[in-house]
Parts: sequence; structure tokens; C-alpha cells
Amino acid sequence: MKVTLVSRSGREVIKGGIELADGATVSDLQEAIHGRIKKYYPSRQRLTLPLQAGSQGKPIVLVPKSKLADYCDGNANNLTVLFKDLGIQVSYSTLFFWEYLGPLIIYPICYYFPVYKYFGYEGERVVYPVQTYALYYWCFHYFKRIMETFFIHRFSHATSPLSNVFRNCAYYWTFGTYIAYHVNHPLYTPVGDLQMKIGFTFGLICQISNLYCHLILRNLRSPSGNGGYQIPGGFLFNIVTCANYTTEIYQWLGFNIATQTIAGYVFLIVASLIMTNWALAKHRRLKKLFDGKEGRPRYPRRWVILPPFI
Amino acid sequence: MAVEDVDGIYAHFGGSSAHLIKLHQCAHLASPPPFSIRIPSPSSMAGFLYALRRIYLSLYNWTVFIGWFQVLYFAVKALREGGPTTVYDAVEKPLQLAQTAAVLEILHGIVGLVRSPVSATLPQIGSRLFLVWGILWSIPETRTHVLVSSLVISWSITEIIRYSFFGMKEALGFAPSWLLWLRYSTFLLLYPTGITSEVGLIYVALPFIKASEKYCIRMPNKWNFTFDYFYASIIALAIYVPGMFLVLLIIQVNKDCLPNCFNHISSGSPHMYGYMLGQRKKALSKSKTA
Repeated sequence: MKVTLVSRSGREVIKGGIELADGATVSDLQEAIHGRIKKYYPSRQRLTLPLQAGSQGKPIVLVPKSKLADYCDGNANNLTVLFKDLGIQVSYSTLFFWEYLGPLIIYPICYYFPVYKYFGYEGERVVYPVQTYALYYWCFHYFKRIMETFFIHRFSHATSPLSNVFRNCAYYWTFGTYIAYHVNHPLYTPVGDLQMKIGFTFGLICQISNLYCHLILRNLRSPSGNGGYQIPGGFLFNIVTCANYTTEIYQWLGFNIATQTIAGYVFLIVASLIMTNWALAKHRRLKKLFDGKEGRPRYPRRWVILPPFI
Repeated sequence: MAVEDVDGIYAHFGGSSAHLIKLHQCAHLASPPPFSIRIPSPSSMAGFLYALRRIYLSLYNWTVFIGWFQVLYFAVKALREGGPTTVYDAVEKPLQLAQTAAVLEILHGIVGLVRSPVSATLPQIGSRLFLVWGILWSIPETRTHVLVSSLVISWSITEIIRYSFFGMKEALGFAPSWLLWLRYSTFLLLYPTGITSEVGLIYVALPFIKASEKYCIRMPNKWNFTFDYFYASIIALAIYVPGMFLVLLIIQVNKDCLPNCFNHISSGSPHMYGYMLGQRKKALSKSKTA
């Protein structure tokens, strides 16, 4: 069959189209495109069916494993596919590794090295126990995240645009520096002992719960990595859709209770807003997918991310 | 009522008038109930709110227009009578009023009264307020600088054109093509002069900010919080130009209300400048064929 590849402006991406066997899959098409235009490796291609003129709604995305013939509705020998270049892609592991590496390095630099000298604070500084524990807590957190990235997470998409590396690194590295600067400051004022203990203990419990949540999520997805959706269950997932985000937010709360900086609380609020956005989208997606019709299970009533608020 | 959009900018406005036509068609169908209490039907309620919105926005736009007109008038008058060093004192009150009133526009976007994305208007108005209150009002040493004149003149001409444009759209239902031409042509000069003045004034203010230690919070304190106005201003300066890129990016994401967004852009970067040139070409050629 012949596939005509057009861009959204109507221009033919590959002159003359591509000839493929009748039983070819979308994946075969992607390989063929990559063969013709070297820079368009498959993860960079977004292939959709052209939208009928005047119709609204989301375009149908071609799924790699499906047969091309499934997308032909009339003419079984000709298919027109809309092509979009998603830009340079990096694997999610790469993205996460770089964004987490920043905080993991910057925070100890502020703790161990005399950086505050350059801000005008001369002389020896007193280091309180809470600052040391905060260092261990923080570094454990980001080390855990990196380990999870390589050994636990199963991603729904293989790649992410390169621009996200810059955006995400800016976010994590800037906030990391902002918090590290304040917690390790020579003029830092520690909270009481009890408050510190409550904060770190609570935070640690949440971090471990968060790890357990990630393990549960991992087991929802099959290793073949087709990224399908299941109804999460077990542990906190029985009452809240995005228990992993819940535990993440509470773990930062624990850190902030122990270290008490405005910088830390600002980060907590921003991170919570971002995660709540994600959680709402995921909750909506799951509810739409598991609508109880045609034999599909019905998504149970659950909190989205932060009981009892949302 | 003529609502043929000359430039398609007020697309949603056209939608509202279509609604009004439908309303008119329904009006004669509703007959009053036998007793004297008349409960408004949903469509007449919507029509009432629509009229209210239009009256409010007309009042808003024309009021702020008058404010900026005063700014321009007093600025030119002061320039001719006393020279550049006297401009700020002459325009201070109307400038502060007119610019601060723009905060309402964020509210309008949030409640949905107008269709501009809050994410684009917020940094724009933020930077304006930073200049008016954070630099000119807070650091008096900047007030006699010649850049104040170029600043208020660039801003006031832009805003006069903009507010009269929307004032006319809301009050009369259309805006004349010469006003449209002005909107899309004056930015060619006013963007560069405006942004140069803004950046220049912040730069001029820096040594005075550092010396005065104004708005600074030092450690130690219970919440381990610091704020240094000097460094914050430097960061503001640093993100100014690429910040405009970011606003442009946000606008690109909200493509369907793209024309609306330029309502609030009054400072720009080279990239934005080029983009506006393109928009200008499109808008003016469209008005020729309409």
C-alpha cells in the first residue's frame, strides 16, 4: 500500500510517498520514514490521521503496534498520514537523571564549602544538627529518585522533548539552590528539637511510602512497555488516585517542618500545584477510560491527590 | 449593528452579537404571565448580563483612556515648559492611577470577562507595576532622568491607542480602520523605545537600590527568609528580554486567543517585534479585502 506523508501545512514530507506491504504496521512506517530522512527517528515522529474538514475533536494518533490497514477506512491501498516533528527527543531516564543531579550536587556544596564567603559572610560558621540531618535527608531523597528512575519506573512514553531538559533542570536546580542557600546559611535559625524530630520522622515515613507506591505502580505496567492503563489498587491507592504524589507532597512537608524556611515552603506550594495538575488529569483519564460500560470496570470513588481537600 | 470584525481580534465579540440577534428573535415569543411578577427567562438574563458587561467594559476602557491621555498631555506640557527633569512630577498621579487600574484586566481574564490568557497579561502588567511603583516611586533619584520622558510617552501613546480601540469596540461595536492601522503600526517605534526606557531606568536605579537597602529582609529570622531588592532587580533585568520570549511562547500555546493577547503587550523583544510585524501584515491586508 502507498502511504502519503504530509505536514500540517499540506506539504509532502516525503515526495512520492512510501510503499509498504499491505500487512505493514505503523512501526514499519516509522522505520521507513527514518530510513528516508535520517534525523526523524521514530520517537521524534508524531503520526496522525488527517482531521476531516470542519470536524472538532482530537486527532487519531497512529499506534506503533497497529497495522496500517486498520487506519484505512475506504481505500485499502492508499493512506494519508499527517506528520509532525516532535523535535529532538531524550529518554525519560536521561531527563530525570539530569534534573535530579543538580540538587544532589548543589546542596552538599552549600553545606561543605565556604560559599557564603562570597556573599560577604566571613569567618567560621556554626552548623546545627538539623542542618546536617537536612543534608542527609535531602541527598537521600534525590538519590532515591535517581535510583527509582533507573530501576523502578516504567514510563508511558519512551522519550521527552529536549527542551524539557532545560525547563525541568531550571526548575529543580533553581529551587535546589534557593533552598540549599537558606538552610545552610551561616545565620540560619533552627527550630526546636521536637519539631525537628517530628518533621524528619514524618518525612521519612512518607518517603518510604512513596517508594512503596512506585513499586505498586511499576507492577501495574507490563515489562513489554506498552504503557497501558490499569486501575491502581493496594496500600494508599485504595483511597487516593495519585498516592505517589500525595506521599511526595507530605514528605516535603516533613522536610519543611524540620527546617522551617520560606524557600522550602514556596517550593512545596509550587510542587504541589504542579502535581495536583497532573493528578487531576490522571484521575480524569482513568475515570473516562474505566467508565463501567462494555464490560470495563468502573473507576471507584476516590480522592484525587490530597484528602480531604481534593 | 455592525460587528464585522475588521481584524478578527474581537472574535468573541462577534459571537456575542450573534447571540443578541437570536435573543431578539426570541423576545416576542415570551408572553408575560397573568400576574404581574415577571421572572426573567434564561435568555433574557443572559442578554441583560451581556449588556452589563459591555457597559462596564466601555466605561473601563474609556476611563483608563482618559487617564493615559492625561499622562501624555501633562508629559508634553512639562517637557515644553520645564524640560525632562520635570516630567515625572507632572504625570505621577495619572500614571500611577492608569497603570495600577490595569490590575483589573487580570481580574477580567480570570473571571472570563475578556478572553486574554492570564499567563500572558500577568508578566506584562507585573513589569509595568515594577517600573511605576518599584522603580520610579520607590527610588526618587530616577525621576529626573531623561528616560522617564521616553518611558511615559511610549507607554501613553500605546495605551491611548489601545484603550480607545477597545473602548470603541465595546461602545460602538466596531473600531475604525485608521485606529487599527495605528495599533499595528505604532508599536514599530514604541516597542523599542518603551523597552529601552524600562531596562535603562532599572539599570539607572540599581546603585540607589543597593545603597538604600530598601525592601530588604535580612537573616537571622524565625522563618529563615531573605530578600534583597538589589539582586531581585538584577534578576528582573536579566529575565526581561528572554522573559518576553517566554510570554510569546505562552501566547503561542494559547493560539486561539492570540490576537487578544497583544492587547496587553506593550514591551517586547526582537523576536516579538518580528512576530508583530507579521501580524501587522496579516491584519492590514485583511482589512483591505474586508
